[in-house]
Amino acid sequence: MLVACVLLSLTALVLPPEPRSTVASALRGTVVVPLAALQERAEVSRRAVLAYDAAVRVADSVRLEASQADVVAAENERLRRLLGLGAALKWGFVPAEALHGRGLGDDYTMTLTVGRDEGVEPFSAVVAPDGLVGMIERVDARSSVAIVGPHPDFRVSAMSADGSSFGIVYPHLGSGATRFLLELRGVAFRSALRPGTLIVSAGLGGVYPRGIPVGTVLSEINTAEGWARSYLLRPAVRPADATSVMVLQPRRSKEGVATAWQTAVDSALRLVVSAGDSLARRRADSLATAERKRLDSLQALQPRPDSAVPPEGRP
Amino acid sequence: MNAARGLWFALLFVALVVLHYTLRPVLDWRASIDFLAIAVLLVAVRARPGVAALVGFAVGITSDALTPGAFGAGALAFSLIAFTASKLKAAFFADNLLLNAIFVFLGKWLGDLIYLAAERRLGASEFLAQALLWSPMAAAVTAVVGLGVFLAARPVMGAPRG
Repeated sequence: MLVACVLLSLTALVLPPEPRSTVASALRGTVVVPLAALQERAEVSRRAVLAYDAAVRVADSVRLEASQADVVAAENERLRRLLGLGAALKWGFVPAEALHGRGLGDDYTMTLTVGRDEGVEPFSAVVAPDGLVGMIERVDARSSVAIVGPHPDFRVSAMSADGSSFGIVYPHLGSGATRFLLELRGVAFRSALRPGTLIVSAGLGGVYPRGIPVGTVLSEINTAEGWARSYLLRPAVRPADATSVMVLQPRRSKEGVATAWQTAVDSALRLVVSAGDSLARRRADSLATAERKRLDSLQALQPRPDSAVPPEGRP
Repeated sequence: MNAARGLWFALLFVALVVLHYTLRPVLDWRASIDFLAIAVLLVAVRARPGVAALVGFAVGITSDALTPGAFGAGALAFSLIAFTASKLKAAFFADNLLLNAIFVFLGKWLGDLIYLAAERRLGASEFLAQALLWSPMAAAVTAVVGLGVFLAARPVMGAPRG
């Protein structure tokens, strides 16, 4: 028996590759099938165990990126709107980054990364795509400081967007969460404003040009004055959220910017639409090129008449 | 061996074969446990040399089917160690645990040496490293596990057939 087994084994060893693989595959297709399946499952399990940590790391990274995607999308949207505002203003503005501190008094002011060297002057209006941010108070060579809505000295001559009511916007010197709100005071008693009414700068006083959104009416404030109304406003721009702003130069303010906020959103939309169009155009071009190449290669493969096969009608 | 013992013995044999194709790939040790060698030696203890050689050949040729490059080498190695183990079991398979472990260790190591010589795949240095380092380590691990299997199977197997 041993001799037979040894002879068979040696025969298997010295068999040429083709019959050897035939015998091996016959075994693999019959008796070895369950064993191979077991081994495969075991190896898959082992790989799964080993890959678990890596998969968890990948999942964590994806989750992190997904959470950051919202922030990036918001940043894109903000920059797109800033571009739209820039396109609408066309000239006479200085783009700047707003630096927010965390100390006392930082709620009232913001430091801008542009200064005298870039053409910034005191009492220039600081704006954002959503509306008015504040006013330049101090200017250094490469930086400047602007007062913003909650600052006690902040004042804006304002009116309702339809021009029916006028007043002066003051900071709402409340406490807690209402500290960032504004007040519209001195509105004529006959002019009742409904909540949600847009308030824009009136252009009186020479600092803020007419038509910049300042805020929206939240509610009327009861005051002792019997001849005028006061309203609580939600500011168009929360200073803490303003990171990219524009400083309007005085010449530009004198020219007027009323139409800029109307067209800013439109131009931003146009930018997005044109970007989408150009992408679609590029895709269509690449598809057409690919199709042309495919047709050319098909034509190249067509059989051509040669001397061995005479054309029809010729001997 | 009565029918019940025979059934238990067959189950143990199948369990070892299954472990070879499930636990061994999961552990993936460089010096891995050879459950097939333990199974073949287990049979060799109970069977006559000829039958043991036949079982060794069957197990070997089955495992060779998954490594076509060395087709026949495993069959040759398992046939020879099964036959030899069956011949020498009276000397080794005693109550002495150390002798049982040596029985499995030598069986596995010699089987590996025959396999390596038959497959003729490795160069001289690799052959020496495999034969003198990794194979003895694998044989030692296999001997430890095999000793446990032999002890667990002793009530089922009874005394070795002379």
